[in-house]
Amino acid sequence: MSSLTNVAVAPTATALEPAAITVDALGKRYGTGPLVLDNINLSIEPGQFVCLLGASGCGKSTLLNIIAGLEKPTEGAVTVASGKAAVMFQDAALFPWLTAGRNVELALKLGGVPRKDRRGEALELLDLVNLADAGDKRPHELSGGMRQRVALARSLAQDRKVLLMDEPFAALDAITRDLLHEELERVWRQTGRTIVFVTHNVREAARLGERILLMSSRPGRIVNEWTITDTGSRRIESPEVARLSDEITDQLRQEIRRNAA
Amino acid sequence: MPLDTRTATAHDPSHDELRRLEAGLDSLQAVPETPRGAVRRTVDGVLPPILLLIGLALAWQVYILIVKPRPDLIPGPLDVFGALVSAWNSDRLQLAVTTSLERGGLGFIIAVAIGTPIGLLLAECRPVRRALGPLLSGLQVLPSVAWVPAAIIWFGLSDATVYFVILMGAVPSIANGLVSGVDQIPPQLRRVGTVLGASRLQMATLVVLPAALPGYFSGLKQGWAFAWRSLMAAEIIVIGGDIGFGLGSMLHQSRELADLSGVLATILVILFVGILVELVIFAPIERRLLRRRGLMAAGLR
Repeated sequence: MSSLTNVAVAPTATALEPAAITVDALGKRYGTGPLVLDNINLSIEPGQFVCLLGASGCGKSTLLNIIAGLEKPTEGAVTVASGKAAVMFQDAALFPWLTAGRNVELALKLGGVPRKDRRGEALELLDLVNLADAGDKRPHELSGGMRQRVALARSLAQDRKVLLMDEPFAALDAITRDLLHEELERVWRQTGRTIVFVTHNVREAARLGERILLMSSRPGRIVNEWTITDTGSRRIESPEVARLSDEITDQLRQEIRRNAA
Repeated sequence: MPLDTRTATAHDPSHDELRRLEAGLDSLQAVPETPRGAVRRTVDGVLPPILLLIGLALAWQVYILIVKPRPDLIPGPLDVFGALVSAWNSDRLQLAVTTSLERGGLGFIIAVAIGTPIGLLLAECRPVRRALGPLLSGLQVLPSVAWVPAAIIWFGLSDATVYFVILMGAVPSIANGLVSGVDQIPPQLRRVGTVLGASRLQMATLVVLPAALPGYFSGLKQGWAFAWRSLMAAEIIVIGGDIGFGLGSMLHQSRELADLSGVLATILVILFVGILVELVIFAPIERRLLRRRGLMAAGLR
């Protein structure tokens, strides 16, 4: 792990609280195939916004799925202190036969919220993502950005301290994505969730993350990390984000080049 | 749930600005639906086939007037209509339609009750599917009339024979429809169910079944078509005993009497009953089902 001499960047602070997510010597391979993830060690503090960055096929989604409990590690262990985690995918995957409100209500139902409270809570959650008026709309009547916000509301409905996001904005246009960054940041600050955000978009990582983990490909390892000490809100156009992106991109390209040999 | 924190930023001006920005983008990106009135939809759906029908009948009449063929070989539309009226007046038509619809309906319901659990078992249980899947697909291809001789030997000339043939026609379609409905469920939906913490039962009732509904429904439609066809075939072949008088029997009777007008009239009635069931029962349900999920092709709205 290296630290960088940037004003906005500092070495990782040692955690004082117990970690929200602990990954210990994690390895993963499918069947007898090559190693996908190799010796991943990670400790994520509660309330931290972590971006997991890497080229396509570096195993970042696999890592996320293992943390989510959707896949089993081949070796090592993962602990999520608060139990299970909420997950949001690139595809909103709303249930097309339910309205936006009902989609959120279903998550509340499966989370054990009593029937009489579901409606009100679903409405509050939709309001949190600025969609209070869209509760009666069906998924196909919503734009991609709106669907993704409903999906966000649905994952918040799970009321879990950890939120895992697998390239949730990758399929959106730039304007919408920019807005959703703001939205997500606001929701994160308001709800105090621990977020692990997987992306292959360097600027997105630099815009959102408090801590950015760079992964190498084949096998997937965490090769570097950056921690942003200035935790105020920043924009994707701002010079700090651009500088950080440049730096990360350089190293990402170096990692990708290694695979050419 | 740490939702109570939202009041803290409710009057944050930058949040208000974000809200307005998002609302603007939402209204730009949302696709406005242009609903058409029920009357307009009905006219659009009903008018073209009726016009075609009138056109065909006219062409037929013109052909009769010009070519003047032998009426016992090629009857005109008026002869056929006359045969219908006389069948109606002797109450044979009403009896035949009621008997056949009753059998078809009851047979179809039994087929649904049998085909649905088989389909679910096939969809969710791999070994069963490997064993039974090819057989069921084969049965779907096998014309169910082929079962008539066997059924007569087993059940004699009774309603059981007719129902057996209907079941052999409809059950494979219904089961296969459900299987393909389940197969077509996008894997993300199941994954979301898992992530949301659904139990096996909740996954089946709250995710898999509703998600498979469109495929299941088209299986039901096909099942009805097969049930109706099998019923007609069975009724034409199986005559006598305690078997009631259905449309197929009426067809057979007209043939015995070499009454071609009667034969054609009965064929038309069989056709219309099929179309009517499709239009009155299946089409509205299907339209509703698909429209709610945004699966309706633009031209069919």
